[in-house]
Amino acid sequence: MPKIHELASVLADQIAAGEVVERPASVVKELVENAVDAHSKQIDITVEEAGLKRIAVVDDGDGIADEDAEMAFKRHATSKITDRKDLFRIKSLGFRGEALPSIASVADVTLTTSTGGVGTLIHNVGGIIKEHTAAAARKGTSVTVKDLFGNVPARLKYLKSPATELARITDIVNRLALSYPDVAFSLVHNGRELTRTTGRGDLQQVIAGIYGVQSARKMVAINGSNPDFKVTGYVSLPELTRASRQYISLLLNGRYIHNFQLSKALIAGYGSKLMVGRYPLAVLDIKMDPLLVDVNVHPTKQEVRISQEPELTQLIQETVFKRLSTENLIPDVFSELPKQKKTPEPATDQLTMALNDASTKYEFSSAPQSRPAATRPTPAATRPTPVASQPSVVADASAVAPKRGPQPLQTPEEVPVEPVVIHARGDFKLPAVQAFDEKYRTEQPAAPLGMSKATESAAERPAMASQPVETIPEATQLTQAKPQQRFPELRYLGQVHGTYLLAEADDGLYLVDQHAAQERVNYEFYRQAIGQVSDDEQKLLVPIVLDYPTTDVLELSNHVETLSSVGIHLESFGPNSFIVHEHPTWFKAGQETDTIKEMIDWVLKDGKISVAAFREKTAIMMSCKRAIKANHHLDDQQARALLKKLATAENPFNCPHGRPVLVHFTDQDLEKLFKRIQDPHHSGDDWGE
Amino acid sequence: MKFSINRAAFIKELNNVSRAISSKTTIPILTGIKIVASDAGLLLTGSNADISIESLIRADDPDIGLTIDEPGAIVLTARFFSEIVKRLPEQTMTVTVKDAFQTEITSGSAAFNINGQDANNYPHLPEVDAADSVVLSGAVFKELISQTVIAVSNQESRPILTGVHFVLADNQFLAVATDSHRLSQRQIELPTPSSAAFDVIIPGKSLTELSRMIGDDDSDVKMQFSENQVLFLLGDTSFYSRLLEGNYPDTSRLIPKDASTTVEFEAPELLAAVERASLLSHESRNNVVKLTLTPADNQVTIFSNSPDVGNVEEALDPKEITGDDLEISFNPDYMKDALRSFGQTTIRVAFTSALRPFTLVPTEDTSNFIQLITPVRTF
Repeated sequence: MPKIHELASVLADQIAAGEVVERPASVVKELVENAVDAHSKQIDITVEEAGLKRIAVVDDGDGIADEDAEMAFKRHATSKITDRKDLFRIKSLGFRGEALPSIASVADVTLTTSTGGVGTLIHNVGGIIKEHTAAAARKGTSVTVKDLFGNVPARLKYLKSPATELARITDIVNRLALSYPDVAFSLVHNGRELTRTTGRGDLQQVIAGIYGVQSARKMVAINGSNPDFKVTGYVSLPELTRASRQYISLLLNGRYIHNFQLSKALIAGYGSKLMVGRYPLAVLDIKMDPLLVDVNVHPTKQEVRISQEPELTQLIQETVFKRLSTENLIPDVFSELPKQKKTPEPATDQLTMALNDASTKYEFSSAPQSRPAATRPTPAATRPTPVASQPSVVADASAVAPKRGPQPLQTPEEVPVEPVVIHARGDFKLPAVQAFDEKYRTEQPAAPLGMSKATESAAERPAMASQPVETIPEATQLTQAKPQQRFPELRYLGQVHGTYLLAEADDGLYLVDQHAAQERVNYEFYRQAIGQVSDDEQKLLVPIVLDYPTTDVLELSNHVETLSSVGIHLESFGPNSFIVHEHPTWFKAGQETDTIKEMIDWVLKDGKISVAAFREKTAIMMSCKRAIKANHHLDDQQARALLKKLATAENPFNCPHGRPVLVHFTDQDLEKLFKRIQDPHHSGDDWGE
Repeated sequence: MKFSINRAAFIKELNNVSRAISSKTTIPILTGIKIVASDAGLLLTGSNADISIESLIRADDPDIGLTIDEPGAIVLTARFFSEIVKRLPEQTMTVTVKDAFQTEITSGSAAFNINGQDANNYPHLPEVDAADSVVLSGAVFKELISQTVIAVSNQESRPILTGVHFVLADNQFLAVATDSHRLSQRQIELPTPSSAAFDVIIPGKSLTELSRMIGDDDSDVKMQFSENQVLFLLGDTSFYSRLLEGNYPDTSRLIPKDASTTVEFEAPELLAAVERASLLSHESRNNVVKLTLTPADNQVTIFSNSPDVGNVEEALDPKEITGDDLEISFNPDYMKDALRSFGQTTIRVAFTSALRPFTLVPTEDTSNFIQLITPVRTF
């Protein structure tokens, strides 16, 4: 008997399944992708016991003709491409013709399909067709997978907990839903609905369905293109972040992909607006000529090769940067309010004198402080909370806010501060409502979800993605109509606890962190200044010899001039070494070698370097050290000077560490605080005054 | 502008004015020192949010050797300017302002050219009219500041408490400071009757700087007030400070009139004991020392405990003790500050109860100087 023989096709399919069908989520992915490729508008996924017991995917797509149905279970059988030319112009999600046979080889699969007429039913167990009959079926395809990995116990053994597997399934359905907003997805697990999208084609609604309405409201649409690429999607405002990159979905021609360089470009677009260790939520839909992308890299196609990747990363970075730089990034106070925490009572109690008490007795408030250091206002403790902890702020605000009634308005276009009452849907057309809408529109560009405040009070309950409200199209149009003023013109009112500056603008009250504000102003100065280093070079008595592996040496030889431009002159010194005889004078004594190595690493990683970017950390440190701190009195003149300079900053919204510089109480927030705006149910009767 | 001056005399005034100059400011020109040369002499100005100092160097003082060749004004970055002046080689120096605010500083063969700024952009100093004024001896005023400023709060969360409350009424000059945990009050009868009356709150930081400027020669300090500024005149130097706005809490009611337990100590001895006890209290979570008084046995013990390090107990030697038994805990740092302000005197400590503030007064003058400390409730 010859030693070398061809494997049985069932065995070959099982081997292939190892690549394609790793876990229940892979089955869901492959089946749903097939459904999408079949032009479905509605895809329902039902899962039992995290997919191990049963996975069913039902779509209303094209369906499979009876004569094709058995062929679909053959390996490398597909309707998606026909010749070599198609392989380089892949417009569908699948093309390899592997998914169905792979799944069938490791499970019990029932396929019911119809192209409109009489349907077909195929029952395939472990890769062998057991049954092929005509069946009643509506147009579309339904695939039921049971007993997954029943014949490959080894695979079963390596599955994670049901919760983990379910999370993966949910994740993949979510990503697919994000890729195809015009397809209605639903995912049901053990009878419980986990995800549902409407299929109305509104990406932001899909985002709301997946990440929640609150999050979706804090995302802004982006749009950028160059001759080769078109990038659209939604990115979160810097105030909305997550601790991992998980929440960045990159969609390339409708395909969810992993690509580190593109995620990095997205994050780079935020610049210093993101806090350290935080990542944005984002859905980026990249459209490009299929010729420019090679998806035939990995069986699951989550990794792809993109030609002209540098141009694409550049485009993403610029698009995000530009979009955010037009955005007013001041977080609104209401959405930022943290839940109040109770501090545990300490064992001792420093008594305080009741300084304002009129009674003749001594009265002691039992403030939980044992020594003065404990009274220091920590940022968290003095975080603006509505009434409880900072009544003074609120009181000030009401004192300076333009009074209602006869007083002349400050700007002609300002809308009178009058409650806008909506009794019926017809009221939306009233000029007052339109004006109200117009006024508040700028704060919430995510109008379709946030809805204008006017419509919100009319809606029975908060808008969910699955319950769109009729007025949405109007609001969307308004959003795009007028350019926004990005940074408000702040009028200084006073200082709070020597730490925060209080300012008003036409649209409400602002609290400015004075340290963060000056840090930002300084940073923009030092970032420039610190890049302007002298070209002087310090000669070294003992030269520095740097050893690099051959791959790096080859790479570096391309970048000798780049390094030269920042003052590092590499000379070859043997096959794998470079020698450096001098270094720029701005290097810190004792850290010359490390600094050179780090700069070379930058070049190896990015292929470019500039002194300003390299020294950014130094700039941040200098701006922090040279800035006024908290607990520092500022007179009016100094405070005004600071606010004026802040207004001219390129990014006045965050300090270089990414913390916010100012927060905003809108007029409406203030009115809510003082209960001038009642619950929507009682609107129309009496209004505070 | 051009002038020459004796460097030593100039440095002295420069140091005084530099007290008001901070490197951290939101108005960049305030990091500079303003120099105005006129026929009367040289006027130096430094300013920050709290204080402004203006010092006149007279042209007619022969010791200073000031010659004004050309009047004018300039603002120079204080940090560099003082360092330069201090390190110049010769006894005398010459400052010349050239085009575009370029300023040349020469001394011997050394010549610096530094960039100045237009003095017209320098903020104007507040104007204080001379209607109400009080004159105090420098030494008395310095003592008064050092006795009260210790109790000032350094937290801007209650800005009013970051100042010392000064009240002049019926010829009695009263200074009170409190951070709501302790209070210090000093009263002085004016040597010369004055009809002036005022009620102001001066930031503690300003007073600290001011007391450093009051020399040991006991020259008089003249105080003048306006709406929101106070001006101290010390010879040719004017010291401006902002006043804190608002109403100072009524502190007179806080001082207990009678006591259930009183005890007398030599202030330095008690201070030394408290300092020893605080060595351990600082290590503990609470920073508390406990005082146990048993008048019947003429005994006072001080005790402090740190669970991690250990404890200390010391029997004190009171000069006199009367009243009820008492056990009271307090923050030793407040006690140390208070005791230091008494110097070498005998003091009387008066307690009412374990949860009421107690007072410290010097035995020879029980009405004009009082320190009050609130206890800590221990559980």
